[in-house]
Amino acid sequence: MFWIKRLLSIILAVAGCYAVDRIATGSLDSYGQRLIILAGLYVTLAVSLNLINGITGQFSIGHAAFYQVGAYLTGYLSVTFYAKSSLQGIPWLVAMVLAGGVFAAIAGLVVGLPSLRLRGDYLAIVTLGFGEIIRILVQNNAKLGGSYGLNVAPKFQSIWLVLLLAVVCIAVCRNLLKTAHGLPFLSVREDEVASLAMGVNVTKVKVSAFIIGSAFAGAAGALLAHYEGFITPQTFRMDVSFIILTMVVLGGTGSITGSALAAVFLSYLPEYLRGLKAAGGGPLTVSGAGVIAALLATAFAVALIKRIMDAGLGSPTRRGLTYLGILVGGIVAQFVLSMGLSAIKPLAAAQIEAGQLRMVIFAVTLIVLMLLRPQGVFAHHEFSWDFVKRLFGAKNVKTTEIAA
Amino acid sequence: MSLLQLDQATIRFGGLVAVNSVSFTINKGDLFGLIGPNGAGKTTCFNLITGVYKPTSGEIRFDGRNITGTPANRIARLGIARTFQNIRLFKALSVLENVVVGGFLRHRTTLGSALGYFPSAIKETEELKHEAMELLKILNLDQVANVRSADLSYGMQRRLEIARAMATKPQLLLLDEPAAGMNPFEKEELNGMVKKIRDEHGMTVLLIEHDMRFVMSLCERIVVLDHGEEIAQGPPSAIRNDPKVIAAYLGEAV
Repeated sequence: MFWIKRLLSIILAVAGCYAVDRIATGSLDSYGQRLIILAGLYVTLAVSLNLINGITGQFSIGHAAFYQVGAYLTGYLSVTFYAKSSLQGIPWLVAMVLAGGVFAAIAGLVVGLPSLRLRGDYLAIVTLGFGEIIRILVQNNAKLGGSYGLNVAPKFQSIWLVLLLAVVCIAVCRNLLKTAHGLPFLSVREDEVASLAMGVNVTKVKVSAFIIGSAFAGAAGALLAHYEGFITPQTFRMDVSFIILTMVVLGGTGSITGSALAAVFLSYLPEYLRGLKAAGGGPLTVSGAGVIAALLATAFAVALIKRIMDAGLGSPTRRGLTYLGILVGGIVAQFVLSMGLSAIKPLAAAQIEAGQLRMVIFAVTLIVLMLLRPQGVFAHHEFSWDFVKRLFGAKNVKTTEIAA
Repeated sequence: MSLLQLDQATIRFGGLVAVNSVSFTINKGDLFGLIGPNGAGKTTCFNLITGVYKPTSGEIRFDGRNITGTPANRIARLGIARTFQNIRLFKALSVLENVVVGGFLRHRTTLGSALGYFPSAIKETEELKHEAMELLKILNLDQVANVRSADLSYGMQRRLEIARAMATKPQLLLLDEPAAGMNPFEKEELNGMVKKIRDEHGMTVLLIEHDMRFVMSLCERIVVLDHGEEIAQGPPSAIRNDPKVIAAYLGEAV
């Protein structure tokens, strides 16, 4: 019975991913498809980093390195062996995804070892250094294309495999947390000394987290290499690591749901802002006065909300309504301010394309979220059907199941 | 029969000799007290026994086996569990989850079976949760099983530390100041609980405590440390009247 159910859910997952693939290729242009692929890869990266960073508490900021190991080694394998291989088409890509996972897992083992002796910011520096070492090694290796990059052939565009990898990654992390095996990972994050006293093999837990987390990053790297067809060391710069880390922190450290949703949101937001168009069809422009007014209004609204939050006055409903009021007030204030500021000639004259402001908006979004909700959007919470039921008014839903 | 034996155990931190050739033997079924003024080396003694520190010299034997320098997690598996003076719960985890971590060292399924969510791992998780729940009932914590452990009252946190240590099913239970910060009523309750742990669960107990009345009424044998050295050993009646002990606690006459 169990295995039948399991088989059905696997078939369902594959079919679901394939259906999305068909719909996307049928209805979206190549840019839209690219967004889906990148979002899928980032979900895998963020959820796998969340295992290392959020669940096990090992502060790693070199996740792009594992991504790169997977991409380059499988890219090299494809260029060298694909023509002679008996595996052709998708089976080859699947083999490459597995190979990328294995290569990156080995790299993860290497990085996991220092984590046994280092903690916190010291470990962060080591992982950061590891990321740079990998990038510079590749940059100076002629066989891997050096700084010109590597042409990966054959190219595969398979949205469904990207989505399937993300689903598998989420499922594996969720399974871990659903069983007792996940508790030692969490306990190592909470207190290493106490974990040791409870008989937890801290060494094994940390290294396992690094191996599993980096394996998924490597698998994602393999898919990226074969989708893009061209990778350079610049594809895996340090800021890629930081964006993945931002996704984990923004979503709520330790929350799989949070990491996954933050990954989708943060990979989509800059692209959405880039594509903003004015009513007439040209690029959307705003005046300098408008930008400054918006920033001032945001700062003021955030400061007000933060003060009310800290004071914790009134019932939650009333506070919610107050926030809404502040938000509306902020938007009104922004228009008034912007009209006032337009009196200053240079500010009114300066025209800025909205697309160019995307990194500013990106940064402001992060600052606002970190000020108002430092524990991340989802904090340590996970999505559950019980929560949905309660949202729709069901009462007496048991919050957690206990086998007693 | 001797369960734990410290033989000339010594540890130096640079120039400071924190524990200086301390020897004592705990028999199976003992309720053993370790007392001494602040900084006497009591907690360091615990850290030596549980493998947090490796002794500079001397030997520690547990259940006929030399455990000097064995890693802390291995020692826990051999059957020594402890609580901490400055409570060290897994704060973000629930009360139940804290206790399951303690019971986890008896797991038989592999990590792979958990990642695949196989029936064996699910079943084991249920079993461990069930065991943990039974233990929580014994320590009167079953009502708060799903509460975040950081949100518990101080006395409850101390009890949870004991529950978590007991979940490893140890032969020897080390309690580091279990009554610290408790009110007289809670202390009375704890007294009964520790006796129950020994009598009904067959665990040998070694405890550090500052509250003299608590120690004297509970422990059958006591070792007194001062400045890392052992100054007295014996039943409470002898310790109470030992001039060296009185001097260590009250200061010597000028």
